[in-house]
Amino acid sequence: MMFWKTPGNNRAILPVLAVLAVCSIIFGGVQLAVSAQVATANESAAQETTVAEKTTLTPDALVIGEETAIDVKSELEKILKKNSKCLRCHGREKTKLLENGQEMSLQVHKDDYLGSAHGDVSCVSCHTGIGNRKHPSKKTNISINSEREYSVEMNESCRQCHKQKFTQYKGSVHSALVAQGSEKAPVCTSCHNPHAPVSMANYQAETGLPCKNCHENIFNAYSVSVHGQGRINGNTIRDSHIQSPICSDCHKSHEVTALAIGDVLRSTCIACHENVTLLHSQWLPNAGTHLDIVSCAVCHAPFAQRRFDLHLYDNVNQAPVAQQEGEEPLQQQLQAIAEEGGSEDPLEIWKARSDYGQQGQKADISLRSRMEVMSGVAAHQIANKSFAVRTCDSCHEPGSRKSQNVTVSITQPDGRKQSFEADREVLSNVSAINSISDFYALGGNPNKILDYLLLLSLFAGVAVPVGHFTVGKMIKEKLDRGEQ
Amino acid sequence: MSTGHSGQKELEGWIKPPNPELYINPLPVRIWHWLNALGFVVLILTGIQIRYANLFNVLSFETAVKTHNWVAFTVIANYFVWLGFYLFSDKITVYHPELNMRKFFDKAFKQIIYYSYGIFRGEKSPHKVQPYDKFNPMQSITYQIVMLLVVPIQFITGIMMWDIKRFEAPIAFLGGIRSVDTVHVLIFIFFVSFTMIHAYMGALGHTPSAHFKEMFTGYEEE
Repeated sequence: MMFWKTPGNNRAILPVLAVLAVCSIIFGGVQLAVSAQVATANESAAQETTVAEKTTLTPDALVIGEETAIDVKSELEKILKKNSKCLRCHGREKTKLLENGQEMSLQVHKDDYLGSAHGDVSCVSCHTGIGNRKHPSKKTNISINSEREYSVEMNESCRQCHKQKFTQYKGSVHSALVAQGSEKAPVCTSCHNPHAPVSMANYQAETGLPCKNCHENIFNAYSVSVHGQGRINGNTIRDSHIQSPICSDCHKSHEVTALAIGDVLRSTCIACHENVTLLHSQWLPNAGTHLDIVSCAVCHAPFAQRRFDLHLYDNVNQAPVAQQEGEEPLQQQLQAIAEEGGSEDPLEIWKARSDYGQQGQKADISLRSRMEVMSGVAAHQIANKSFAVRTCDSCHEPGSRKSQNVTVSITQPDGRKQSFEADREVLSNVSAINSISDFYALGGNPNKILDYLLLLSLFAGVAVPVGHFTVGKMIKEKLDRGEQ
Repeated sequence: MSTGHSGQKELEGWIKPPNPELYINPLPVRIWHWLNALGFVVLILTGIQIRYANLFNVLSFETAVKTHNWVAFTVIANYFVWLGFYLFSDKITVYHPELNMRKFFDKAFKQIIYYSYGIFRGEKSPHKVQPYDKFNPMQSITYQIVMLLVVPIQFITGIMMWDIKRFEAPIAFLGGIRSVDTVHVLIFIFFVSFTMIHAYMGALGHTPSAHFKEMFTGYEEE
């Protein structure tokens, strides 16, 4: 591409640019008008949703008409009356001894609750099974094993009103971990206090809550990064309204996913940094391929440890091979291979996987490689552009292999990536021509046999002339002596 | 510099009155040859720098790659000077292969004997260089394979690696970037010894400088 960047061509492009500029102004105007309409529509839709989500009244009461308004009012009064009954006791400091010896607070701060978005929600709509006559007493004690277990149990009640958010949460890595029995993975109430919910859209970059509760190291790395600092200072990108991102901007708030997989991460970065392809192609040979294969943090987190990560890729389904539920984990597969006398290298896994196919067919599986940073913490240490690594040698120098690791990864059933360390030599083996056919860091992982061939070629280049010359001289001398 | 007298004699060797019957290498061939030679040397050196950044640090990787690309495109353009000249001139006969196998092997054998023995006894080459028949049968077959097969493969694999995304489909067809790179490197390895031996054999004329002069002036020495 760079070969066409002559000054002459640039001048030739000017009229085209002018036409494009005029078109974009017209197009921009039209878009502005359309987006204004869409925004209004969205706003009214949002208002409707809020009402629908906030009220717990029966659908019958929502029938349109003036009478209904009165119904709503009287229903609300009923709820508040009922709730005030509960709060008469639960507004005070109260605890319950749980089976695990933990003391759980039963107190609901009255003012916080009534002033919150849940203020007009009846207590019993979540705490079902509890009523005037059904309230647990010392005799009819409800036994609760632990606060955590109770939170997980209660989680389903959020679904009643927050269907959309709940469905998003169900598809998240957090929910998958809860289902696996994790003690730490968050349920709704881990982030949102059910008795004083506030919109999480307003949370602050300085505190990092609620994510920081569990991901403290990652948050600390983020908060000193160009993104974290930008957020604190209120920076926006290219004078637009787009703020420097906070956790949920990249990871989403409810459908939280592990970003390390496939192209998700890159498309997340490009969502704000739209012109990266163009900017990189101005100096970086094969910019497109680099952006495909090298994760942004590899160069933009300049002090991060890096690795070549190999993952099994299904060429038929065009997706990374994921670990199936109930399938032998990769680690055990690797160990089994090692015990059978094979080496613990991803090529063995690849071979084993290629032979294993569904419906008796040989699977078309290859090993794909990406350059990545070693840890999640490193992935968040994004520095200012001026500190980004621009020395090609950090990946393209054979010696650099020493400071780089090779891992083999598989996607686990919960969507997270699991990586294992592999032998560095796998990248320079001859068999890599077949198994890791799509990845080659020029000069970074050269094949040793080719190195020996080059030495042989250099040797031949010197030995043939020298040998021919020497032998010739000897023959000549012999002939000369013979003539004498 | 040697003494004035021998210097003058040497100069005469270079600017003898031309004999049209010994005009072996016309201008386009000479331009192509020397540009190609310079290109090959730069490509080999930058190639080594790209592949062995840990051993040599003459150029940064970025500069080495960019130089390699620019020079490579020049060499490719230059290839068409060679191809164009021979396609559109009657000199193409120099590349015509000897189709009579008996004759071919007979001539080739004589040439091998000459290079391994006769040359040392001061014998004359069995092949007489002429404008329409400048190559001995060994040269003719080697140069044909090199120019019509090896060099184009090197160009094609190189162009593919220059823009991997654009040539995604043909690269996949050839078995992935690693295969393409391996082929490119194998040919590079071949050219390392080829270039060195080629230069040495250039000095095996009836005087060590004869072929070099011929490649500069176009005329074979009488």
